[in-house]
Amino acid sequence: MSDVIPAIKKRKLSTSESIYLVEVLKGMAITMGHVIKNIIGELKGQSTFDTMEYPEVRKPVNDRFKGAHRLTTRPDGKYKCVACMCCSTACPAKCISIVAGEDADDPIEKYPVRFDIDMLRCIYCGFCVEACPKDAIRMDTRIYEINAFSRQDMIHTRDYMRDLMAGDKPEAEQWYRENPQHSPEGFLGEVPPVIP
Amino acid sequence: MPLVKVNGIAVEVPPGTNMIEAAKKVGVEIPHYCYHPHLSVAGNCRMCLVDVEAGGRGPDIACNMAATEGLAIRTDTPKVTQMRKSVMEFLLVNHPLDCPICDQSGECRLQDYYMEYGQHDSRLADAKMGKGKRQDIGDQIVLDAERCVQCSRCVRFSDEVTGTGELRLFNRSNQTQIGIFPGVRLSHQYQGNLADICPVGALTLKDFRFKKRVWWLKESESVCGGCATGCNTLVHHQDNEVYRFTPRRNDEVNKSWICDQGRLSYKDVTSLKRLTGAKVNGQRAELPEAANAAAMLLKGAKVGVVFGAKATTEANWAAVKLVRARLPSARAYVIEGNDPDAFTYQDEILVDSDKTPNRFGAALTASQLGSVGDAEALKAALAAGEIDALLVLQDDVIGRLGIAAPKALVYVGTFKNATATAAAVVLPAAHSIEQAGTWINRQGRVQRLRKTVAPAGDSVADYSAVDAIGRAFGGAVIPEMPAAIFQELAAGVKALNGLTLKGLGHGGQLITLSAPSAGADQPGQAAPAK
Ligand code: SF4
Ligand code: SF4
Ligand code: SF4
Ligand code: SF4
Ligand code: FES
Repeated sequence: MSDVIPAIKKRKLSTSESIYLVEVLKGMAITMGHVIKNIIGELKGQSTFDTMEYPEVRKPVNDRFKGAHRLTTRPDGKYKCVACMCCSTACPAKCISIVAGEDADDPIEKYPVRFDIDMLRCIYCGFCVEACPKDAIRMDTRIYEINAFSRQDMIHTRDYMRDLMAGDKPEAEQWYRENPQHSPEGFLGEVPPVIP
Repeated sequence: MPLVKVNGIAVEVPPGTNMIEAAKKVGVEIPHYCYHPHLSVAGNCRMCLVDVEAGGRGPDIACNMAATEGLAIRTDTPKVTQMRKSVMEFLLVNHPLDCPICDQSGECRLQDYYMEYGQHDSRLADAKMGKGKRQDIGDQIVLDAERCVQCSRCVRFSDEVTGTGELRLFNRSNQTQIGIFPGVRLSHQYQGNLADICPVGALTLKDFRFKKRVWWLKESESVCGGCATGCNTLVHHQDNEVYRFTPRRNDEVNKSWICDQGRLSYKDVTSLKRLTGAKVNGQRAELPEAANAAAMLLKGAKVGVVFGAKATTEANWAAVKLVRARLPSARAYVIEGNDPDAFTYQDEILVDSDKTPNRFGAALTASQLGSVGDAEALKAALAAGEIDALLVLQDDVIGRLGIAAPKALVYVGTFKNATATAAAVVLPAAHSIEQAGTWINRQGRVQRLRKTVAPAGDSVADYSAVDAIGRAFGGAVIPEMPAAIFQELAAGVKALNGLTLKGLGHGGQLITLSAPSAGADQPGQAAPAK
């Protein structure tokens, strides 16, 4: 290990910089420049704001965007998931925990009694979606506001993930449904239907 | 011994050895479904087809090919590859590919061999034949006939091992179905083995149904403590939780089998019957505190030590050392019989009438103290006041004999029972899968226990619990490490001379009792007859 880490030389502040006041004024000049530009723009009737008025206005997300997980259902309303645990095996963050149970009335014998994803640990890699042999889990919700007031609430449960797109929760999707004029083009109709 | 060749590698095997086993010897795996080392050869799955180079006509099935001088087979020719692929294609014609809901998945030979030898694209044009799914055919077993590959292992098992013959392959050709005779239900004690030997998910265990994916489970070697047979087991566990026991092959002890009682005894590990904390006069106490109380009770008293046929040989040895060092006037007892809550079933296949795993070891170690008393002697001595304090290892002596407990009763044990209730001091011992040690089974085979999961609650290895009493007296009586204890034990007990813990290996070591003149080394009359 003969490499010597070179010492970083600190640049000396110039006289005007060491007074600070000049630099502060320079900064304010940039701000004022924008203010004036915006005022002139508004007067001319064209919006020149660089800031988006989130959440009223949102950036459209890419088609491949991996949002919050949802669990898909069969036509009879039962989970498509058969609790095979391929997703939790593939998950690198080990954040999916599933408890399997037996459905005595269903020819598909197995179903998830519990299906929890700890969203605090999820790294949104999408491996779970790739691993699923049943198209039972998807990340196509485009929901990126995944937040809560407690750690417990950050664990998305089975029914929550099933109902996510049903509009039970005031998430982005729901907001777009209520304010369709703001939704990115084609957003609402675009979530691919679940193939039964 | 005939010299045979597998893929050009020469190997000498006993005459009559089949070529699957011979190939295994040189590290060549020949895939197979119907062959099982402990069942007769059926030769109906055709997965083991190999090319015969010399000494026979080929291709032929390896499982039914006895080693003869000059026989040479090849498993690496394109022909063999093609045959395996074709067999896989046939086997999968009517297979439902249920893997997501199939408990076998992860330990399924169809999956494994498909990945290794199949990998064909499906050419199936017709609909698959439906067969009976989720059939309840026994107390322990669920049958899914669609998944069956008609290997007939289960049929041969019930014909040859249990002799009950409930299962058959019905109908012919592609209509063949595994099934159970009408009106019959599996009711023998070895049902779980059917799930083990079924190479696919056709027969699965009810108890394990949907509980866990097998690829998450870790396997550790252990020995079943259900009876004196001492079947070798694998403990399947994850995150300190035990999910199942399966048999571990030991041709000298249990072949590849285990009884259902033993298989399901994993539930005891977390049962509410476990003693998880030390107790003094019924009050929870810390272990050293309880050990102190025990030492106080035993000090100066007329002590009887009941050696434990369920305790490890190490714990019994620790008791011997404790007596020698601190309680020189103590008397040794080994109480025959089973605890009142022991299961009563017994048979000629595996299950012994003696439900203790280490009676041999208890008798052997106790005899180091000279004469060993039996139940009658203990009763008499208690009644006559010749002993007024008892140190009991694992056995439910009070429940077994139905006697009144002496005031000074110290119990080292894993489970709650009459003795634990009556004891003034209880020291909680780990379950046999939670600690290292050895048991000596009915044949006199020293078998090794390993710590597979952490002990429940405050419990400690049973020898450590005995040692804790020694420490309370003022000094440890045994070394700390299991290997060191065993070393001392092997040096101290004549019948065990020369054994080492490591040397026991996976299958254990048979000890022979030396000539009758060895006197003290003869186990007392409590020793098993077998
Ligand atoms: S997106 Fe990745 S980290 Fe998140 S649950 Fe799926 S597999 Fe796990
Ligand atoms: S979501 Fe898919 S991969 Fe995960 S357990 Fe359910 S069926 Fe299996
Ligand atoms: S038997 Fe094997 S291949 Fe068939 S469904 Fe079960 S795991 Fe899959
Ligand atoms: S049920 Fe299993 S063991 Fe029995 S014949 Fe079918 S595949 Fe073989
Ligand atoms: S293992 Fe040889 S034919 Fe089945």
